[in-house]
Parts: sequence; C-alpha cells; structure tokens
Amino acid sequence: MSLEQFQDRNVAEQNYFHVDIPDYPTTGWGKVKRAASRTFKGELFVGLWVVFREMIKFDIHTVQYPKEKLPVGPRYRAVHEMQRLFESGTERCIGCGLCEKICISNCIRMETKLDENSRKLVTDYTINLGRCIFCGYCAEVCPELAIVHGPRYENVSDQRAHFTDFSDMLTPIDAAISGTQKEFDGFGAVTPHEDERVKTTPLAY
Amino acid sequence: MDIAFLIETVVKIVVILLVFSALAGFGTYFERKVLAFMQRRLGPMHVGPYGLLQIAADGIKLFTKEDIVPQNVVGPIFKIAPVITAATAFMAAAAIPFMPSFTMFGYEVHPILADINIGILYILGVMGIGLYGPLLGGLASANKWALISTARAASIFISYEVITGLALLAPLMMVGSLSLIDFNNYQVGGIASWIVWSQPVAFVLFVIAGFAETGRTPFHLVANDHEIIDGFGTEYSGMRWGLFFIGEYANMFFISFVIAILFLGGYGDGSGLGALALLAKVSFIFFFFLWTRAAWPDVRPDQLMWLCWKVLMPIAVINIVITGIVMMF
Amino acid sequence: MFEAIAFYLFAFLTIVMFSVTVFTKQALYALTALAAGMIFISAFYFLLGADFLGAVQIIVYTGAVMALYAFGMMFFDTTRNVKEYGRSPQIIFLLSGMIALLIVIIFVVPIVSENITAIYPVIEGVGNSQAVGMVLFTKYLIPFEVAAVMLLVAMIAGIVLAGKKMDYSLTLMEDEEIKLAEESKEKALS
Ligand code: SF4
Ligand code: SF4
Repeated sequence: MSLEQFQDRNVAEQNYFHVDIPDYPTTGWGKVKRAASRTFKGELFVGLWVVFREMIKFDIHTVQYPKEKLPVGPRYRAVHEMQRLFESGTERCIGCGLCEKICISNCIRMETKLDENSRKLVTDYTINLGRCIFCGYCAEVCPELAIVHGPRYENVSDQRAHFTDFSDMLTPIDAAISGTQKEFDGFGAVTPHEDERVKTTPLAY
Repeated sequence: MDIAFLIETVVKIVVILLVFSALAGFGTYFERKVLAFMQRRLGPMHVGPYGLLQIAADGIKLFTKEDIVPQNVVGPIFKIAPVITAATAFMAAAAIPFMPSFTMFGYEVHPILADINIGILYILGVMGIGLYGPLLGGLASANKWALISTARAASIFISYEVITGLALLAPLMMVGSLSLIDFNNYQVGGIASWIVWSQPVAFVLFVIAGFAETGRTPFHLVANDHEIIDGFGTEYSGMRWGLFFIGEYANMFFISFVIAILFLGGYGDGSGLGALALLAKVSFIFFFFLWTRAAWPDVRPDQLMWLCWKVLMPIAVINIVITGIVMMF
Repeated sequence: MFEAIAFYLFAFLTIVMFSVTVFTKQALYALTALAAGMIFISAFYFLLGADFLGAVQIIVYTGAVMALYAFGMMFFDTTRNVKEYGRSPQIIFLLSGMIALLIVIIFVVPIVSENITAIYPVIEGVGNSQAVGMVLFTKYLIPFEVAAVMLLVAMIAGIVLAGKKMDYSLTLMEDEEIKLAEESKEKALS
C-alpha cells in the first residue's frame, strides 16, 4: 500500500472488504470443530512467521529523535512567534486585544496604554505556554499577522516561568530588518491570491 | 560435612544468585530488543552502545525510587510479597544441573546446588509456591485490580499445576526416576534419543503450562496491562516492583532450563560442547517466549480455564494411558 | 550437630507460625503464617531423609490447599481485622485444650513405652519414592484405591452440583431470553 492510498480519506471509494467471520458455534460439536480447526490450521505459526520475517528483514522505521528529526509541516502549530514589521522592525502587534479575548484557555495576558502620540502601546504581553493548547485561534484572529505559530515544538523547561518568556517568542530585530523573518502560511495567514481580492475602493459596489 | 563442601555450597549459591539476576537483567534487554525488531523498531539505543547500559539505568532508577507503601495495605504482607516471588525463582534454580561435573584444582565440582533425587517434585513444589507472590501482593494491596489479578493467579496456578504434573508423568514413567540428572543421562544418545521425540504431546503440554505459570503472553492475564493495569503490582513502586520483575524473568529462564533438560537432551554427554548446547537450547526457548509475545494475542481467563480442564487435562491423561500401554508391551 | 540446629530452628519457626495463625485477628497474616508453617513442616521430612514426602507436602498443602483457602478469602476484605463473636470463651478454651492434650497423649504413649518398630524398614539401594510406592501398592493397596474412588465420587458430585447451568451463557442470549429465564426462575422460587 502506498502512502497516497493511506492519505486518501475518501473511504467510500477505497476497496475495503469485510473479513469473513464465521458464526459463533452453538452446539457442542460445533465448538469442538472450531477448536480443532483453530488448533490444526497453523494460524499461530503464520503469526510467528510474520514477526520473524520482519525481524530478519530488519526494515527499521525508527526515527532516532534527538539525532534525527522529522520535518515539520508548514501549517504546524507549535510555539508562537511574535512577528515584526519589515524595514522598520517595530512590533506588528497593535494591542487590539483580540487574541486575549479569543484565547480559549485564557493564557494570553496583555497590558496597553496610550503613549505620548496617543497611539496604543503594548507594555506587557505574555502567553503562558504551560496552559496554551495550541489551538491557533489567536493566530487566526490577529488582524496584523502579528502573532503566528512557529515550528519550534521542543519547549521543555524545568521552570514554569520559562513558558511565559516573551522575548523568546519575539522575532529578533535584525531578522526583521534583514528580511529573513519568515512569513507564516498557516492558520490565519494571507492566502497566496489575496492581492487580486483587494479592492482599491472597498465601498464602491 | 566437611569445610570444602560448605565452601562449595556457598560459592554455588552466590554464583546462582548472581547469574540468575544478571540473566534477568539481560532478559529485559533482550525482550525489548527482540520485540522492537519484530515490530520494526530499534528498541533502547541511547544509554550506552546500542542501549546496553539501559539495564543499569533501570536498576539505578528502581533502586533510588521512593518505596511507597499505600495507606490501607496490610504492611508486612505487602512488603514480603515481592521477596517471595524473587526468592522462589532463585530457589527453584537450586535443583537444576547446569553442567556436567568437572574437576577444578583437583577437586570435583558438581554444578548443581542440591542434588536431590526428587528434583522434579522439588521444582513442581517451588513453582507452586511461586503463586504466593502475586497472591499475597494482590490480597494485601487493597486494590480492586490487584484483587482480580490475584483471583486469576490463584486459578491459573491451581489449574496448571495439574497440567504440569500430568504432562511430566508420562516421561517420568519412561525414565523411571524423578532426578533431573537421570533425565539428562537418559537422553545422552544424541538428538534422536531426546524425550521430545518420544513424548511430543507431553512436551507441548508442558510448554503451554510453563507459559501459563510464568504468565507470559498468550496467557498474560495475571498482570494484563490493558485491562487490570499491572495486576498485583499496581500498588508497588521502586525496588519492590523491581523484585516482581526480576522474579518474572528469572522464572522464564528457570522454565527454559527445565524444558531444555527434561525434553531437549539437557547438557548431553557432558562435554564442553554439551554445556554450550544446553545454553543454546535455553536461549532458544527464552527467545520463543519473546517471539510469542510479539506474535500472539492474549486469551481470556475463561478460555484459559476451558483450555486447561477441557482440552489439556484429557489429552494429558490419554497420553499417560497410551504411554503406559506402550510400555507394558 | 547441623541436624540438631536445623531441627530446633524449624521446630521453633513452625510453632511460631502456627501460633500466629491461631492468635492473629488479621486473615492475611493467618493465611501467610499457615502457608509458611506448612513449608517449615516439610523441612522435617527433608531432615529425616524423606525427600518425597517433603516435596509432596509443599506441593499439596502449600501449593494447592492453601491456594483454595486464598480463593475463599478473596470474598472478604482481607485488609480489615476480623471481629470474632464467642459467647463463652471458657468452654471453647477448655474443649480445644482437652482435645490437644488427648492428641498429644495418643501420639506420645507409644514413643514412651518404646514399642514402635518400623514394619517396613528402609531397604538399601531403593530410593525414597520407590519405597513409598512399594508400601502404597502392596500393603495399602485397598485403602489407596478406595481413597481414589472416593475422590472420584466427590469430583463427579461436585461437577453435577456446580454444572447445572453450564450450557447457559448470558453473553449469547438475547435480552428477551434473559428476561424470560429470570421470570421462570422467579416463578419457580415463589
Ligand atoms: S493557540 Fe489557542 S490557547 Fe494558545 S494562546 Fe492562542 S488562542 Fe490561546
Ligand atoms: S490580535 Fe494580534 S494585534 Fe491584536 S493584540 Fe493580539 S497579537 Fe496584537
């Protein structure tokens, strides 16, 4: 069976078949016959042979995790990344508070204030990854593509405080300026043909 | 009773204890590796080369873990139950002739601890006592899973003692002795004189009963992880649980030795080659224990009882009768 | 020397174990002590050179009989102490004491009067199990066979008593059938 066949979720069109299971014997003689056929059919030895064959073939499928890692899909939802604007490098987050509102495990907490230019400024932003269930709602709801999910799934620590480290999630400023910051094409990201849908005058219909 | 005999006995005891504990440790390693290979995995790989030091890591972990004695258990019984399991497994090894006697520094050494002429009965007895580990551990645990596992252990042990005894009776009649050494000497004439050829039914019955009494996979009901957690071991932690574990593996090796000596020719004519052959046979039977675990599903407790009383016992009795008739004429 | 030490050691252990069995209020202690006592008794057989009987003692009493006791104990909460209701402990004490005394007298008298001799002295060159077999199948053949027949009768009776509903499987019956069976049972009872 090839991998495509496994990934094909269209169950109705696949060639599934029913296993032939004989009826449960009700008479004593039927039970004897079943026991005899099970004993002498050699099904047990078929099982032994199958596992032994696999052992001899030595066709090992183990991924030796810390040394080898499986590639992570582009839409994988692991530890969040706070993106920055290209060029200027300021944080994209505008402090709208939508992510805080939608988070179903209540793990985003933010404080905002108005700065001297009467613009909203995020003073304190934490995601408690110890509580986060990585549902992706925050990334989906963010209007600025500021909060996205990254591929970093190894987030173990011996201190709970480490799970809330904001600077850990924030993209480094030089990555933003040099343009190496990766756009996330997962949950809530801009779809590739988004440009065609943008109207110059949105209300002209 | 001279001093030399005393020293020899003590040395033998120490050797048996060390060898069997080491075997139990390596047994766990081989079990993991063999099961892994049969399931296209690699098994333990990280601790030491090819994961060989995993045994040491497990040992250290078990030794340093907190020894928890839960609140409502019957303390003393709870504490000695694992010791009984491990001790019976080692005690049983006392009657096994591992090798033919050899001469070392001008002194004749018999590599058997207690050369009693009723070795087989002794083995059956000790196997029967092996029941007390699960039994007392489960009853003292104040835990429903443990209790279920205890009930299963008691029924399995009582039933399969019968099968072991009856299955061994037919070869016993042929050899005419209860001594394991006599059994070995009966089969010195090479592969053709192995008892397994003249008593194949008894061999199969004994292997099945051995599986049941060690609680290995087709009959892994006493500590069946997916329905009754760890059975009688549910409440145990640390080294006490480790003793149950050692007992289980030592028991497997013990049964392998017994099968090899009773049915597969033992150490043969007593040369070095024969001793190696015994080791090879034991390793193969141990491998078979692991092999079946990878290949076969478990049976239900009622099927196990059905198998014992309605199938195996009649076959064993018929086998004895036929053997008797054949021997008479 | 060794034999004397072993004898007194095992005698002491046996007595302690059986005392625990009698005096304790905890059913599990009693069970464990009884099993241990049985094993210690087998040590006497080994000391006397009767290996066969020793091993059989372990197999039968420790391996089988005690396991059956344990089966019974699984229906109780063995982690609690047992409350005993004795109306008049004096009478029980008196009666059991008398019986114990009688048994001791019965067994000690022939030893004191020194007229026990072995009818079947140990034959040289014959193993333990052979010796048992010879006596069992010559002198005691009739009692042996009678015991066997009695056990067979007991086994058949047990099967008949327990096996009345052996072809009655709740897992194979439809719900209505189970209901019908229940009703007919109730009718039979009332
Ligand atoms: S992924 Fe879900 S749970 Fe985690 S911070 Fe975002 S909204 Fe909250
Ligand atoms: S939704 Fe986006 S922009 Fe709004 S507060 Fe959250 S991260 Fe910042």
